[in-house]
Amino acid sequence: MKTDRIYLLFLLFIFVSCNKMPEIDNNTMLDGDQIFDISLVQPERFLISARYPAPSALQKDIPVIIAAHGYTATTFEWDELRDYADSTGTFYVSQVLLGGHGRSYEEFRKSTWKDWQASIRDEYKKLSRLGYKNIYLAGSSTGCPLIINLIQDGFFENLTKPKKIFLIDPIVISSNKTLTMVNALGPVLGYTSVELTDGEQGKWYVYRPYETLKQLMKLIDLTRKELQSGIRLPQNTKLKTYKSTSDGSADPVSAVLIYKGMKHADGTPVEVEMVDSKLHVFTRLRGRDGVTEKDKALQMKTFKEMEQAMIHP
Amino acid sequence: MKKLSVIIAFILSFGYSGAQSAGLYELNAGITAQKTQKLYWENGLGVDFTSDFLFGKRIHLKTALITSRLGSAFRSNAINQESFTLGADWRFFSRKPLQIFTGFNAGYFMAHYDDPEFDDLANSSPLVQLDAGLIYRFAFPLSLSASLGYNFITSNGEQGPGTLFPLFYQFKLYYRIK
Repeated sequence: MKTDRIYLLFLLFIFVSCNKMPEIDNNTMLDGDQIFDISLVQPERFLISARYPAPSALQKDIPVIIAAHGYTATTFEWDELRDYADSTGTFYVSQVLLGGHGRSYEEFRKSTWKDWQASIRDEYKKLSRLGYKNIYLAGSSTGCPLIINLIQDGFFENLTKPKKIFLIDPIVISSNKTLTMVNALGPVLGYTSVELTDGEQGKWYVYRPYETLKQLMKLIDLTRKELQSGIRLPQNTKLKTYKSTSDGSADPVSAVLIYKGMKHADGTPVEVEMVDSKLHVFTRLRGRDGVTEKDKALQMKTFKEMEQAMIHP
Repeated sequence: MKKLSVIIAFILSFGYSGAQSAGLYELNAGITAQKTQKLYWENGLGVDFTSDFLFGKRIHLKTALITSRLGSAFRSNAINQESFTLGADWRFFSRKPLQIFTGFNAGYFMAHYDDPEFDDLANSSPLVQLDAGLIYRFAFPLSLSASLGYNFITSNGEQGPGTLFPLFYQFKLYYRIK
Protein backbone atom coordinates (compact mmCIF):
# COMPACT_ATOMS: atom_id res chain seq x y z
CA MET A 1 0.00 0.00 0.00
CA LYS A 2 2.84 2.31 0.97
CA THR A 3 4.62 1.44 -2.28
CA ASP A 4 1.48 2.36 -4.22
CA ARG A 5 1.39 5.77 -2.55
CA ILE A 6 5.04 6.44 -3.35
CA TYR A 7 4.38 5.40 -6.94
CA LEU A 8 1.39 7.74 -7.17
CA LEU A 9 3.40 10.59 -5.68
CA PHE A 10 6.14 9.94 -8.23
CA LEU A 11 3.60 10.01 -11.09
CA LEU A 12 2.12 13.22 -9.69
CA PHE A 13 5.61 14.73 -9.53
CA ILE A 14 6.24 13.81 -13.18
CA PHE A 15 2.84 15.21 -14.17
CA VAL A 16 3.44 18.49 -12.34
CA SER A 17 6.94 18.72 -13.80
CA CYS A 18 5.64 18.18 -17.34
CA ASN A 19 3.31 21.12 -16.98
CA LYS A 20 5.92 23.50 -15.69
CA MET A 21 5.67 26.87 -17.40
CA PRO A 22 8.38 29.45 -16.90
CA GLU A 23 7.60 32.89 -15.57
CA ILE A 24 7.84 35.10 -18.62
CA ASP A 25 8.19 38.86 -18.42
CA ASN A 26 6.34 40.02 -21.55
CA ASN A 27 7.89 43.49 -21.39
CA THR A 28 11.52 42.40 -21.59
CA MET A 29 11.65 38.82 -22.85
CA LEU A 30 11.53 37.52 -26.40
CA ASP A 31 9.75 34.50 -24.90
CA GLY A 32 6.67 36.66 -24.20
CA ASP A 33 3.92 37.91 -26.48
CA GLN A 34 5.08 41.53 -26.89
CA ILE A 35 8.60 41.36 -28.34
CA PHE A 36 9.23 39.79 -31.76
CA ASP A 37 12.12 39.67 -34.17
CA ILE A 38 11.87 42.73 -36.45
CA SER A 39 12.27 40.59 -39.56
CA LEU A 40 8.72 39.28 -39.00
CA VAL A 41 7.25 42.71 -39.62
CA GLN A 42 9.88 44.20 -41.89
CA PRO A 43 11.23 41.28 -43.97
CA GLU A 44 12.59 43.65 -46.62
CA ARG A 45 15.15 44.88 -44.10
CA PHE A 46 16.51 41.37 -43.64
CA LEU A 47 15.74 39.19 -46.66
CA ILE A 48 17.28 40.00 -50.02
CA SER A 49 14.42 38.24 -51.81
CA ALA A 50 12.02 40.73 -50.19
CA ARG A 51 14.28 43.77 -50.65
CA TYR A 52 15.08 43.14 -54.32
CA PRO A 53 12.27 40.91 -55.63
CA ALA A 54 13.02 41.96 -59.23
CA PRO A 55 16.82 42.17 -59.36
CA SER A 56 18.60 43.86 -62.24
CA ALA A 57 21.27 41.99 -64.23
CA LEU A 58 23.89 43.79 -62.16
CA GLN A 59 22.25 42.85 -58.86
CA LYS A 60 22.03 39.22 -59.91
CA ASP A 61 25.83 39.15 -60.13
CA ILE A 62 26.41 40.59 -56.67
CA PRO A 63 27.25 37.85 -54.14
CA VAL A 64 24.48 37.24 -51.64
CA ILE A 65 25.03 35.29 -48.46
CA ILE A 66 22.16 33.67 -46.60
CA ALA A 67 23.04 33.84 -42.89
CA ALA A 68 21.33 31.39 -40.53
CA HIS A 69 21.53 31.95 -36.77
CA GLY A 70 21.67 29.46 -33.93
CA TYR A 71 19.28 27.78 -31.49
CA THR A 72 17.22 30.33 -29.46
CA ALA A 73 18.85 33.28 -31.26
CA THR A 74 17.40 35.66 -33.85
CA THR A 75 18.55 37.56 -36.94
CA PHE A 76 20.48 39.79 -34.49
CA GLU A 77 23.27 37.21 -34.49
CA TRP A 78 24.27 38.24 -38.02
CA ASP A 79 23.62 42.01 -37.79
CA GLU A 80 27.33 42.80 -37.66
CA LEU A 81 28.02 40.94 -40.92
CA ARG A 82 25.18 42.89 -42.56
CA ASP A 83 26.67 46.15 -41.24
CA TYR A 84 30.04 45.11 -42.62
CA ALA A 85 28.47 44.30 -46.01
CA ASP A 86 26.63 47.64 -46.03
CA SER A 87 29.90 49.46 -45.31
CA THR A 88 31.84 47.74 -48.11
CA GLY A 89 28.97 47.45 -50.61
CA THR A 90 30.56 44.32 -52.05
CA PHE A 91 27.94 41.71 -51.11
CA TYR A 92 24.42 41.31 -49.74
CA VAL A 93 23.46 39.57 -46.51
CA SER A 94 20.09 37.86 -46.30
CA GLN A 95 19.35 37.23 -42.64
CA VAL A 96 16.86 34.44 -42.21
CA LEU A 97 14.89 33.97 -39.02
CA LEU A 98 14.69 30.27 -38.22
CA GLY A 99 11.17 28.87 -37.93
CA GLY A 100 9.78 28.89 -34.39
CA HIS A 101 12.35 31.52 -33.37
CA GLY A 102 11.89 35.21 -32.58
CA ARG A 103 8.20 34.73 -31.76
CA SER A 104 7.04 33.37 -28.40
CA TYR A 105 7.85 30.58 -25.95
CA GLU A 106 4.77 28.64 -27.02
CA GLU A 107 5.54 28.87 -30.74
CA PHE A 108 9.12 27.87 -30.06
CA ARG A 109 8.02 24.92 -27.90
CA LYS A 110 5.86 23.53 -30.71
CA SER A 111 8.49 23.85 -33.45
CA THR A 112 10.65 21.07 -34.87
CA TRP A 113 14.13 21.30 -36.36
CA LYS A 114 12.56 20.96 -39.80
CA ASP A 115 10.51 24.10 -39.05
CA TRP A 116 13.74 25.85 -38.06
CA GLN A 117 15.30 24.83 -41.38
CA ALA A 118 12.29 25.78 -43.53
CA SER A 119 13.17 29.50 -43.62
CA ILE A 120 16.65 28.75 -45.02
CA ARG A 121 15.09 26.55 -47.70
CA ASP A 122 12.50 29.23 -48.58
CA GLU A 123 14.99 32.04 -48.95
CA TYR A 124 17.44 29.91 -50.93
CA LYS A 125 14.73 28.79 -53.36
CA LYS A 126 13.51 32.37 -53.82
CA LEU A 127 16.99 33.75 -54.53
CA SER A 128 17.75 30.90 -56.91
CA ARG A 129 14.47 31.41 -58.80
CA LEU A 130 14.94 35.19 -58.91
CA GLY A 131 18.18 34.57 -60.78
CA TYR A 132 20.85 35.43 -58.22
CA LYS A 133 23.96 33.73 -59.55
CA ASN A 134 26.37 33.90 -56.65
CA ILE A 135 24.66 32.49 -53.58
CA TYR A 136 26.62 31.72 -50.42
CA LEU A 137 25.56 30.29 -47.09
CA ALA A 138 26.74 31.10 -43.58
CA GLY A 139 25.61 29.27 -40.47
CA SER A 140 26.35 29.89 -36.84
CA SER A 141 25.99 27.18 -34.21
CA THR A 142 22.72 25.29 -34.94
CA GLY A 143 22.46 27.07 -38.28
CA CYS A 144 25.35 24.81 -39.37
CA PRO A 145 23.78 21.35 -38.94
CA LEU A 146 20.66 22.77 -40.61
CA ILE A 147 22.79 23.69 -43.65
CA ILE A 148 24.72 20.38 -43.58
CA ASN A 149 21.38 18.56 -43.68
CA LEU A 150 20.39 20.52 -46.80
CA ILE A 151 23.47 19.17 -48.57
CA GLN A 152 22.86 15.62 -47.41
CA ASP A 153 19.22 15.92 -48.41
CA GLY A 154 20.09 16.86 -52.04
CA PHE A 155 18.26 20.17 -51.64
CA PHE A 156 20.54 22.00 -54.12
CA GLU A 157 20.09 19.49 -56.97
CA ASN A 158 17.70 21.60 -59.07
CA LEU A 159 18.80 24.99 -57.81
CA THR A 160 21.77 27.30 -58.30
CA LYS A 161 24.58 25.63 -56.38
CA PRO A 162 26.02 27.59 -53.46
CA LYS A 163 29.52 28.88 -54.22
CA LYS A 164 30.80 28.49 -50.71
CA ILE A 165 29.50 27.63 -47.26
CA PHE A 166 30.89 29.20 -44.09
CA LEU A 167 30.30 27.41 -40.79
CA ILE A 168 30.93 29.45 -37.65
CA ASP A 169 31.17 27.45 -34.40
CA PRO A 170 29.06 24.58 -35.73
CA ILE A 171 27.40 22.30 -33.22
CA VAL A 172 27.54 18.59 -33.94
CA ILE A 173 28.52 17.64 -30.40
CA SER A 174 27.09 19.72 -27.59
CA SER A 175 29.45 20.96 -24.91
CA ASN A 176 26.77 20.24 -22.34
CA LYS A 177 26.76 16.45 -22.34
CA THR A 178 23.58 16.31 -20.26
CA LEU A 179 21.79 17.02 -23.54
CA THR A 180 22.39 13.36 -24.46
CA MET A 181 19.99 12.43 -21.63
CA VAL A 182 17.26 14.91 -22.62
CA ASN A 183 14.72 12.18 -23.40
CA ALA A 184 14.85 10.99 -19.79
CA LEU A 185 15.49 14.25 -17.96
CA GLY A 186 13.49 16.61 -20.18
CA PRO A 187 9.98 15.74 -18.95
CA VAL A 188 11.14 16.17 -15.36
CA LEU A 189 12.86 19.50 -15.94
CA GLY A 190 10.28 21.00 -18.33
CA TYR A 191 12.68 23.66 -19.51
CA THR A 192 16.10 25.16 -18.87
CA SER A 193 17.09 28.82 -18.83
CA VAL A 194 20.10 30.98 -19.67
CA GLU A 195 21.44 34.26 -18.34
CA LEU A 196 21.44 37.07 -20.90
CA THR A 197 23.36 40.32 -20.79
CA ASP A 198 21.45 43.60 -21.00
CA GLY A 199 22.44 43.86 -24.67
CA GLU A 200 21.10 40.39 -25.40
CA GLN A 201 17.71 40.87 -23.70
CA GLY A 202 14.87 40.56 -26.17
CA LYS A 203 17.17 39.07 -28.82
CA TRP A 204 17.43 35.52 -27.47
CA TYR A 205 14.92 33.24 -25.80
CA VAL A 206 15.67 32.98 -22.09
CA TYR A 207 13.82 29.68 -21.67
CA ARG A 208 14.55 26.50 -23.54
CA PRO A 209 11.58 24.12 -23.52
CA TYR A 210 12.71 20.51 -23.32
CA GLU A 211 10.74 19.70 -26.48
CA THR A 212 13.10 21.97 -28.44
CA LEU A 213 16.15 20.55 -26.66
CA LYS A 214 14.98 17.13 -27.86
CA GLN A 215 14.72 18.56 -31.39
CA LEU A 216 18.23 19.98 -31.10
CA MET A 217 19.58 16.62 -29.94
CA LYS A 218 17.73 14.88 -32.77
CA LEU A 219 19.25 17.26 -35.33
CA ILE A 220 22.84 17.03 -34.11
CA ASP A 221 22.65 13.27 -33.66
CA LEU A 222 21.38 12.91 -37.23
CA THR A 223 24.15 15.22 -38.46
CA ARG A 224 26.80 13.21 -36.60
CA LYS A 225 25.55 9.99 -38.20
CA GLU A 226 25.44 11.58 -41.66
CA LEU A 227 28.99 12.83 -41.24
CA GLN A 228 30.02 9.39 -40.06
CA SER A 229 28.75 7.95 -43.35
CA GLY A 230 30.32 10.80 -45.36
CA ILE A 231 28.86 13.84 -47.12
CA ARG A 232 29.93 15.12 -50.54
CA LEU A 233 29.44 18.78 -51.37
CA PRO A 234 27.78 19.74 -54.67
CA GLN A 235 30.04 20.30 -57.67
CA ASN A 236 32.06 23.55 -57.31
CA THR A 237 30.79 24.27 -53.80
CA LYS A 238 33.49 24.94 -51.22
CA LEU A 239 33.22 24.89 -47.45
CA LYS A 240 35.14 26.43 -44.61
CA THR A 241 34.63 25.83 -40.90
CA TYR A 242 35.78 28.29 -38.25
CA LYS A 243 35.72 26.91 -34.71
CA SER A 244 36.67 28.39 -31.35
CA THR A 245 39.09 26.14 -29.51
CA SER A 246 37.18 26.68 -26.27
CA ASP A 247 33.41 26.83 -26.47
CA GLY A 248 30.86 26.20 -23.74
CA SER A 249 28.02 25.54 -26.20
CA ALA A 250 29.33 23.73 -29.28
CA ASP A 251 32.12 21.31 -28.43
CA PRO A 252 35.24 22.07 -30.50
CA VAL A 253 35.38 18.40 -31.51
CA SER A 254 32.42 19.24 -33.79
CA ALA A 255 35.00 20.68 -36.21
CA VAL A 256 36.87 17.35 -36.26
CA LEU A 257 33.68 15.51 -37.20
CA ILE A 258 32.94 17.97 -40.02
CA TYR A 259 36.51 17.79 -41.31
CA LYS A 260 36.47 13.99 -41.32
CA GLY A 261 32.92 13.68 -42.62
CA MET A 262 32.70 16.25 -45.42
CA LYS A 263 34.55 16.32 -48.73
CA HIS A 264 34.42 18.53 -51.81
CA ALA A 265 32.86 16.97 -54.91
CA ASP A 266 36.34 16.04 -56.17
CA GLY A 267 37.17 14.27 -52.90
CA THR A 268 39.51 16.93 -51.53
CA PRO A 269 39.19 17.87 -47.84
CA VAL A 270 37.17 20.86 -46.72
CA GLU A 271 38.89 23.79 -45.03
CA VAL A 272 38.91 24.13 -41.24
CA GLU A 273 40.43 26.79 -39.02
CA MET A 274 40.56 26.44 -35.25
CA VAL A 275 40.50 29.97 -33.87
CA ASP A 276 41.90 31.10 -30.55
CA SER A 277 38.68 32.24 -28.89
CA LYS A 278 36.51 31.31 -25.94
CA LEU A 279 33.35 32.76 -27.44
CA HIS A 280 30.55 30.72 -28.91
CA VAL A 281 29.82 32.32 -32.30
CA PHE A 282 32.88 34.55 -32.11
CA THR A 283 31.62 36.61 -35.07
CA ARG A 284 28.83 38.06 -32.90
CA LEU A 285 30.18 40.60 -30.45
CA ARG A 286 27.28 43.04 -30.17
CA GLY A 287 25.44 42.68 -26.88
CA ARG A 288 28.27 40.81 -25.17
CA ASP A 289 30.04 41.99 -22.04
CA GLY A 290 33.82 42.17 -21.87
CA VAL A 291 34.61 42.18 -25.58
CA THR A 292 38.37 42.52 -26.13
CA GLU A 293 40.41 44.07 -28.95
CA LYS A 294 41.49 40.55 -29.84
CA ASP A 295 37.83 39.52 -30.24
CA LYS A 296 37.20 42.52 -32.51
CA ALA A 297 40.28 41.76 -34.61
CA LEU A 298 39.23 38.13 -35.04
CA GLN A 299 35.70 39.11 -36.04
CA MET A 300 37.00 41.61 -38.60
CA LYS A 301 39.57 39.17 -40.00
CA THR A 302 36.83 36.56 -40.50
CA PHE A 303 34.44 39.01 -42.18
CA LYS A 304 37.24 40.14 -44.51
CA GLU A 305 38.09 36.55 -45.39
CA MET A 306 34.45 35.83 -46.13
CA GLU A 307 34.22 38.94 -48.28
CA GLN A 308 37.40 38.05 -50.19
CA ALA A 309 36.11 34.52 -50.78
CA MET A 310 32.95 36.05 -52.28
CA ILE A 311 34.44 38.76 -54.46
CA HIS A 312 37.47 36.70 -55.59
CA PRO A 313 36.08 33.15 -55.57
CA MET B 1 4.03 -17.43 -25.64
CA LYS B 2 3.64 -20.57 -23.53
CA LYS B 3 6.33 -22.28 -25.58
CA LEU B 4 8.68 -19.36 -25.04
CA SER B 5 8.10 -19.47 -21.27
CA VAL B 6 8.91 -23.19 -21.21
CA ILE B 7 12.11 -22.62 -23.18
CA ILE B 8 13.19 -19.77 -20.87
CA ALA B 9 12.39 -21.84 -17.76
CA PHE B 10 14.39 -24.74 -19.21
CA ILE B 11 17.42 -22.57 -19.95
CA LEU B 12 17.29 -20.97 -16.50
CA SER B 13 17.01 -24.29 -14.67
CA PHE B 14 19.75 -25.76 -16.84
CA GLY B 15 21.93 -22.77 -16.06
CA TYR B 16 21.21 -22.93 -12.35
CA SER B 17 22.33 -26.56 -12.03
CA GLY B 18 25.78 -25.78 -13.31
CA ALA B 19 26.29 -22.25 -12.15
CA GLN B 20 28.08 -23.09 -8.94
CA SER B 21 31.80 -22.72 -9.24
CA ALA B 22 33.79 -25.01 -7.01
CA GLY B 23 37.32 -23.79 -7.88
CA LEU B 24 39.45 -21.60 -5.64
CA TYR B 25 39.54 -18.96 -8.28
CA GLU B 26 37.79 -18.19 -11.53
CA LEU B 27 38.99 -16.49 -14.67
CA ASN B 28 36.68 -15.26 -17.43
CA ALA B 29 37.61 -13.49 -20.65
CA GLY B 30 35.79 -12.45 -23.75
CA ILE B 31 34.12 -9.76 -25.78
CA THR B 32 33.06 -6.40 -24.40
CA ALA B 33 30.70 -4.23 -26.44
CA GLN B 34 29.86 -0.68 -25.38
CA LYS B 35 27.29 1.72 -26.77
CA THR B 36 27.58 5.28 -25.56
CA GLN B 37 24.27 7.13 -25.37
CA LYS B 38 24.01 9.28 -28.54
CA LEU B 39 27.50 8.31 -29.69
CA TYR B 40 29.57 5.32 -30.77
CA TRP B 41 29.77 1.59 -30.47
CA GLU B 42 33.17 0.68 -29.06
CA ASN B 43 34.12 -2.97 -28.81
CA GLY B 44 37.05 -4.93 -27.47
CA LEU B 45 38.22 -7.50 -24.99
CA GLY B 46 37.83 -7.90 -21.25
CA VAL B 47 38.98 -10.14 -18.42
CA ASP B 48 37.27 -10.86 -15.10
CA PHE B 49 38.88 -12.56 -12.11
CA THR B 50 37.53 -13.68 -8.75
CA SER B 51 38.59 -15.96 -5.95
CA ASP B 52 37.27 -17.45 -2.73
CA PHE B 53 39.56 -14.97 -0.98
CA LEU B 54 37.54 -12.10 -2.47
CA PHE B 55 34.60 -12.37 -0.06
CA GLY B 56 33.66 -15.78 -1.38
CA LYS B 57 33.76 -14.63 -5.01
CA ARG B 58 31.50 -11.70 -4.33
CA ILE B 59 34.17 -9.28 -5.51
CA HIS B 60 35.29 -9.55 -9.13
CA LEU B 61 38.32 -7.72 -10.46
CA LYS B 62 38.04 -6.70 -14.08
CA THR B 63 39.83 -5.01 -16.92
CA ALA B 64 38.79 -4.08 -20.45
CA LEU B 65 40.18 -2.43 -23.57
CA ILE B 66 37.63 -1.16 -26.07
CA THR B 67 38.00 0.88 -29.24
CA SER B 68 35.72 2.55 -31.76
CA ARG B 69 38.00 1.07 -34.44
CA LEU B 70 36.17 -2.23 -33.84
CA GLY B 71 32.84 -0.40 -33.67
CA SER B 72 31.46 2.79 -35.17
CA ALA B 73 34.78 3.92 -36.64
CA PHE B 74 35.20 0.70 -38.63
CA ARG B 75 35.14 1.85 -42.27
CA SER B 76 33.48 5.16 -41.36
CA ASN B 77 34.44 8.74 -40.51
CA ALA B 78 33.85 8.33 -36.78
CA ILE B 79 36.70 9.32 -34.49
CA ASN B 80 39.10 6.55 -33.50
CA GLN B 81 39.19 6.32 -29.71
CA GLU B 82 40.19 3.84 -27.03
CA SER B 83 39.31 3.28 -23.40
CA PHE B 84 41.27 1.13 -20.98
CA THR B 85 39.71 0.39 -17.58
CA LEU B 86 40.53 -1.49 -14.39
CA GLY B 87 37.85 -2.04 -11.81
CA ALA B 88 35.99 -4.17 -9.33
CA ASP B 89 32.40 -5.41 -9.05
CA TRP B 90 30.36 -6.53 -6.11
CA ARG B 91 28.11 -9.45 -6.98
CA PHE B 92 24.77 -10.01 -5.31
CA PHE B 93 23.42 -13.59 -5.37
CA SER B 94 26.92 -14.73 -6.30
CA ARG B 95 25.99 -18.42 -6.05
CA LYS B 96 22.98 -18.05 -8.34
CA PRO B 97 23.09 -18.17 -12.15
CA LEU B 98 21.42 -14.77 -12.43
CA GLN B 99 23.41 -12.20 -10.50
CA ILE B 100 23.20 -8.47 -9.97
CA PHE B 101 26.40 -6.51 -9.93
CA THR B 102 27.55 -2.98 -9.31
CA GLY B 103 31.08 -1.78 -9.76
CA PHE B 104 33.64 0.95 -10.06
CA ASN B 105 36.17 1.49 -12.86
CA ALA B 106 39.13 3.77 -13.30
CA GLY B 107 41.09 4.09 -16.49
CA TYR B 108 42.23 6.17 -19.40
CA PHE B 109 40.57 7.49 -22.55
CA MET B 110 42.30 8.60 -25.73
CA ALA B 111 40.94 9.96 -29.02
CA HIS B 112 42.81 10.50 -32.30
CA TYR B 113 41.88 13.52 -34.43
CA ASP B 114 44.19 12.68 -37.35
CA ASP B 115 45.12 16.27 -38.35
CA PRO B 116 47.60 18.78 -36.87
CA GLU B 117 44.90 21.52 -37.02
CA PHE B 118 43.32 19.86 -33.99
CA ASP B 119 46.51 19.52 -31.94
CA ASP B 120 45.29 22.14 -29.44
CA LEU B 121 42.18 20.16 -28.57
CA ALA B 122 42.17 17.88 -25.54
CA ASN B 123 42.23 14.26 -26.69
CA SER B 124 42.81 12.26 -23.52
CA SER B 125 41.34 11.99 -20.07
CA PRO B 126 41.30 9.80 -16.99
CA LEU B 127 38.15 7.71 -16.61
CA VAL B 128 36.10 7.30 -13.45
CA GLN B 129 32.99 5.18 -13.88
CA LEU B 130 30.23 3.48 -11.95
CA ASP B 131 28.19 0.70 -13.47
CA ALA B 132 25.49 -1.73 -12.51
CA GLY B 133 23.74 -4.55 -14.29
CA LEU B 134 22.77 -8.17 -14.59
CA ILE B 135 24.89 -11.19 -15.42
CA TYR B 136 23.73 -14.67 -16.31
CA ARG B 137 26.09 -17.60 -15.91
CA PHE B 138 25.18 -20.52 -18.09
CA ALA B 139 25.91 -24.16 -17.18
CA PHE B 140 28.27 -24.30 -20.11
CA PRO B 141 31.29 -22.04 -19.56
CA LEU B 142 29.77 -18.80 -20.81
CA SER B 143 28.32 -15.77 -19.11
CA LEU B 144 26.36 -12.87 -20.56
CA SER B 145 25.97 -9.49 -18.93
CA ALA B 146 24.27 -6.18 -19.61
CA SER B 147 24.91 -3.05 -17.62
CA LEU B 148 24.38 0.69 -17.47
CA GLY B 149 27.38 2.89 -16.71
CA TYR B 150 28.12 6.51 -15.96
CA ASN B 151 31.30 8.46 -16.67
CA PHE B 152 31.96 11.02 -13.97
CA ILE B 153 34.59 12.82 -16.03
CA THR B 154 33.32 14.16 -19.35
CA SER B 155 34.11 17.16 -21.52
CA ASN B 156 32.41 20.55 -21.41
CA GLY B 157 33.81 22.18 -24.54
CA GLU B 158 36.46 23.98 -22.52
CA GLN B 159 38.31 20.97 -21.17
CA GLY B 160 38.33 17.27 -21.83
CA PRO B 161 37.98 15.34 -25.07
CA GLY B 162 34.68 16.14 -26.78
CA THR B 163 33.66 12.54 -27.45
CA LEU B 164 33.78 11.46 -23.80
CA PHE B 165 30.06 11.21 -22.95
CA PRO B 166 28.42 10.36 -19.63
CA LEU B 167 26.03 7.48 -20.19
CA PHE B 168 26.92 4.10 -21.68
CA TYR B 169 25.57 0.57 -21.97
CA GLN B 170 27.85 -2.46 -21.86
CA PHE B 171 27.36 -6.01 -22.98
CA LYS B 172 29.84 -8.79 -22.22
CA LEU B 173 30.06 -12.33 -23.47
CA TYR B 174 32.73 -14.11 -21.47
CA TYR B 175 34.17 -17.60 -21.57
CA ARG B 176 35.04 -19.28 -18.30
CA ILE B 177 38.69 -20.25 -18.74
CA LYS B 178 39.16 -21.63 -15.21
